[in-house]
Amino acid sequence: MIDNRPLSPHLTIHKKVLTAVFSILHRITGIGLSIGAVLIVIWLSILALGPNYFFIFESIATNLIFKFILFLWTLGVFYHLFNGIRYLFWTYSVGMGLKTVYISGYIVLILTILATLYVWII
Amino acid sequence: MNNSYTSKWILQRITALCLIPLTFWFIYQCISFQYLDYKEMLLFFQSYFNSFLFLVMMILMLIHAKLGCETIIQDYVSLIYLQKFFKGILNFITLITLLLTIGAIIKLCLTL
Repeated sequence: MIDNRPLSPHLTIHKKVLTAVFSILHRITGIGLSIGAVLIVIWLSILALGPNYFFIFESIATNLIFKFILFLWTLGVFYHLFNGIRYLFWTYSVGMGLKTVYISGYIVLILTILATLYVWII
Repeated sequence: MNNSYTSKWILQRITALCLIPLTFWFIYQCISFQYLDYKEMLLFFQSYFNSFLFLVMMILMLIHAKLGCETIIQDYVSLIYLQKFFKGILNFITLITLLLTIGAIIKLCLTL
């Protein structure tokens, strides 16, 4: 049985305009952060299980792949956070003019990069 | 049906709004977590203030994630039985992670 509700536009067919790319990225980072939330719960559970289990986590945490995933997570969190604030303004029809939409998009990108660098440099 | 979609849409925005300060708090704590050993991590969770904020953040985060993933499933999966299947998995993961979070934080709070 097929749902009669229209589907979202096919991502491969439509021309990629900046606003659409931001929306797609918001969803991709959302999925990534959802997986991240499950990983946080696993980390919390390992911590609750006791020191023996936590030492296993500590040995994994020194791995470069783990650090790379953590870097991507930081980038995803900040992007989703800043772009989410932008979307919350849109909920109240604030900042929806064509020029403002593009300016706020670039601000989101700059803030994401700066915040990620700040977290990883300090 | 429409009421359900509207209330989920509103809940998605409310959780997003609440998560803004909590995310900044969590990232700030994460920066210090890398320097803490196991005992110091326990001390962090034995503070009721930290445990409470962490619990609230995780519950809001899991609800927000569930609502977001549900919308993506509705938007990109047209077959109803597949939609139900994916939503079932999502509900299961959300429930398990919520229970694990509550259990883990209570245990960490009470560990001496």
